[in-house]
Amino acid sequence: MSYAYLFKYIIIGDTGVGKSCLLLQFTDKRFQPVHDLTIGVEFGARMITIDGKQIKLQIWDTAGQESFRSITRSYYRGAAGALLVYDITRRDTFNHLTTWLEDARQHSNSNMVIMLIGNKSDLESRREVKKEEGEAFAREHGLIFMETSAKTAANVEEAFINTAKEIYEKIQEGVFDINNEANGIKIGPQHSPSNPALGGGGGAGGSQPGGGCC
Amino acid sequence: MISRVRNVVNSVMGGLAALPQPPERPQPDDLELKYPYCRPEFLQLSQDEIQVSADHVSRPIMVPREPNRLPWSAGYAEVINAGKSPRNEDQAATAQLCISRPARTPNRNTNKANNKGNNGNSGEDNPHQEAMAEEEEVRYNTDVEELHFTYFGVFDGHAGTGAAIMASRTLHYHIRDKMTDVSELLLPVTYEGMEQNHPGAGSKNGSGSGKPSSRVITKEHLIIGALERSFCEMDSQIERERLTFRITGGCTALVAVFVLGKLFLVNAGDSRAVLCRNGEAIPMSRDFTPESERQRLQYLAHLHPHLLYNEFTALEFPRRLHKTDLGKQTLYRDHTMTGWAPKTVTEDDLKFPLIFGEGKRCRVLATIGVTRGFGDHDLRVYDSHCLIKPFLTAAPEIQTYDMLEQRFGEDDFLIMASDGLWDVVANQDACNVVLDALTQFHPQDPNRYTSAAQELVMHARGTLQGKGWRRPAEDKPASGDDITAFIIPLYHYGNQHLSSPIVLSESEESSTREMETETEAEADPGPDSLDP
Repeated sequence: MSYAYLFKYIIIGDTGVGKSCLLLQFTDKRFQPVHDLTIGVEFGARMITIDGKQIKLQIWDTAGQESFRSITRSYYRGAAGALLVYDITRRDTFNHLTTWLEDARQHSNSNMVIMLIGNKSDLESRREVKKEEGEAFAREHGLIFMETSAKTAANVEEAFINTAKEIYEKIQEGVFDINNEANGIKIGPQHSPSNPALGGGGGAGGSQPGGGCC
Repeated sequence: MISRVRNVVNSVMGGLAALPQPPERPQPDDLELKYPYCRPEFLQLSQDEIQVSADHVSRPIMVPREPNRLPWSAGYAEVINAGKSPRNEDQAATAQLCISRPARTPNRNTNKANNKGNNGNSGEDNPHQEAMAEEEEVRYNTDVEELHFTYFGVFDGHAGTGAAIMASRTLHYHIRDKMTDVSELLLPVTYEGMEQNHPGAGSKNGSGSGKPSSRVITKEHLIIGALERSFCEMDSQIERERLTFRITGGCTALVAVFVLGKLFLVNAGDSRAVLCRNGEAIPMSRDFTPESERQRLQYLAHLHPHLLYNEFTALEFPRRLHKTDLGKQTLYRDHTMTGWAPKTVTEDDLKFPLIFGEGKRCRVLATIGVTRGFGDHDLRVYDSHCLIKPFLTAAPEIQTYDMLEQRFGEDDFLIMASDGLWDVVANQDACNVVLDALTQFHPQDPNRYTSAAQELVMHARGTLQGKGWRRPAEDKPASGDDITAFIIPLYHYGNQHLSSPIVLSESEESSTREMETETEAEADPGPDSLDP
């Protein structure tokens, strides 16, 4: 299917916080209570609509295990958005956020939009991290924040879509150089210069960021 | 341990009597693709994922989602090149196959029933059942004996993905067919005297011992013969079908077959297999390159000088010669020599050398850097009629390794990888990287070998620093080539095999002994017999 833009996302965070389940809920609208360990990286994709534009989200779901860190780190580069996930029922996963964030900032492009996600909001009785703490951490580090449940699907759509909206706005503001694929944004075939009827925001260089689509 | 190295230099010469002429035929671009671009089936990638896997900026390392899909939960990882070609030209395949006796004429196109193919997970059950269903007609005939074997293949393509994809989809069927051709000799249980076969010498009547003039042919050599024939058949199939389909490029082939208690390593190209036992790297294949095959290539040009189209010289010189060198002394070597000798430079010596360049840049006819494999039937020297194929051969070299002579542990494994890995990682270093990675997983963890394969590929791929891929640990350039690696645990096969009656043995007696062992094993399945 054709799209106006493709955004590359990466999902990061400690092992067992529900990264793969968030992805599965978002792409397949289902929950799998027992999920195999992710080895390295897996992929998902879904089309969304923002501002009347078809946007394809290409999501790289990474392994949380420490032993895979050097491999997953190499995937940060070239992502336009990151979902940094912790588990509200495990304080250690929240405590590790600083390390994850440093890692992400160091290995990604500086404009990458980072969404902080406190997952497993359905497990209120086992909560160890208050929502306010998540909000405070996000505020302090300039992140967007949401609590989600991959199980009930609460806020899962919003988490992925709000991140996309933020990226889209940055494109409109000209913050992202959309002609540089290392920024994790690709202009879709329907925007290519070879099809001028659909607007010429194409990758042929020199065009205004987001040009032709607003 | 390495009981046999077969050099097949001579076997290629026979096929050259009829020299290929530039054929009149449809342009390849007009033909339909034989197979669309794909990745190995056991990766279970969607079209979207296949696209993502070709991301030259991030170079994601792809691993099987379900490691159990590979025989023995073997590890596999691959990564695309850093931009030299839009697609990953490496391919890989695994299969668990079965032949049965009496042999039937296999139908190559439809007979998939007794193949596990790339999708194998349970490995053992289905081939049994399916083979039985397929061979129903002959079941009443006798107790159908079955011979199971496990197959891994790595194919490194060039100048297109067609040949490598076709080989990864087809070669194991050819191997099965060629083994089926000798199934009556491989599966002797109801016959006497079959341990030492006498093909064509009335072996079926069990009177082999009464014909002292026949040569003794071991089962090992029947399997080697089947493997050699399957490689030639694979190449012939590509040669035939390229007239009706678009099958681009060529590929090397490295195949491991575990059968009858032995490991057969079949190599035609510059991919490499390294066995790691007790931490020590044992090379199981030799790389075929223009440099390592110089004498074979020169001999071929010597026998058939017209293959050089008067544009190349078969001799090798220390450097490219120029007009100013005419009449002067130079050193040279030809197909008979490994050392160098002097000669006076003549006009002929000024032609471009048949083999030229050093290391990875060494080329045959200034065109290609590999000398064995499949495909390339239409490849010509740039701007010339000069065909490359006569110098390339599908004939493999086969090494065997006795898997029953010793017991293998969980940290003993076989690495099979394309040259993308070996260009930057030495044999022993590769083993060490894998051994390190294995320590992080419990021996029974199905992800163990896959994680190790991923680490190994990562080690060779490195990380993107600035504009180039580098290996930070050693601060050396990383591999920008396609990289493919299997890590195959070895303890499964040895253990599994102890419960099978069929072994490559030198005498009937030892075969009987193995059968007794099996009976015991069945009566009391020990902890060693839990393989899935």
